[in-house]
Amino acid sequence: MERDSDDLSLPKATVQKVISEVIPSFVSFSKESRDAVIECCIEFIGLLTTQANEIAESESKKTIGGEHVMKALKELGFAEYVDSMDEVIEEHKEIVKIRERKNTKFQESGLTEEELLRKQEELFGLARSKLNNVSQDPSQEQPPAPST
Amino acid sequence: MSRKEAKTKFPVARIKKIMQADDEIGKVAQVAPMLVSKSLELFMISLVQASVDQAQEKGHRKVLPGHVKLAVENNEQFDFLADVMEKYPNIAD
Repeated sequence: MERDSDDLSLPKATVQKVISEVIPSFVSFSKESRDAVIECCIEFIGLLTTQANEIAESESKKTIGGEHVMKALKELGFAEYVDSMDEVIEEHKEIVKIRERKNTKFQESGLTEEELLRKQEELFGLARSKLNNVSQDPSQEQPPAPST
Repeated sequence: MSRKEAKTKFPVARIKKIMQADDEIGKVAQVAPMLVSKSLELFMISLVQASVDQAQEKGHRKVLPGHVKLAVENNEQFDFLADVMEKYPNIAD
């Protein structure tokens, strides 16, 4: 099993932040300990991924899905993490919903991407000229601000 | 042992890359690295807390790799980390 763990690691700053959030104020965490923790984390990802992959394969699935990760957690003795997963899944469903809404809006507009881009340029042009008019002659009466 | 959630999150794209660094791993649904990321957060907090506990038990204020090693040795959940921690020195008694 190829593991490019030398090339890919976790961002040290992020790991440091998590450590700082967790440890009591009078305790310090040496750099070497942080690096040891990072190594353990990479191992954890590998373990969880391998187990999830085996579960997916046993179900004849070619893609590792969320439910495979959840099952893997239980099988590896991390069942206590499963409750926190629901929040992540809900968040993901929201993101998918928003994306689908955006796509539908695009499809329902009846315009091609080119036409939409042209419309956008027109609006930018209008805004630009308004801006230029205002900056050239400040004594001129200001047009009413557009309401949102 | 209190279990907290971190405010900081891990980049999902990076987690996905690490998952797929293994040749055996094929396609991964979008939600999968998000779940792995959350699990990782909980795991890291757990390991760090266990390491701090080991240091405090010894009356040490600075957590060293040896304390992380002790945390691994004393927790069944962390059995899979025994090999990786082997190379680190033990805490001198």
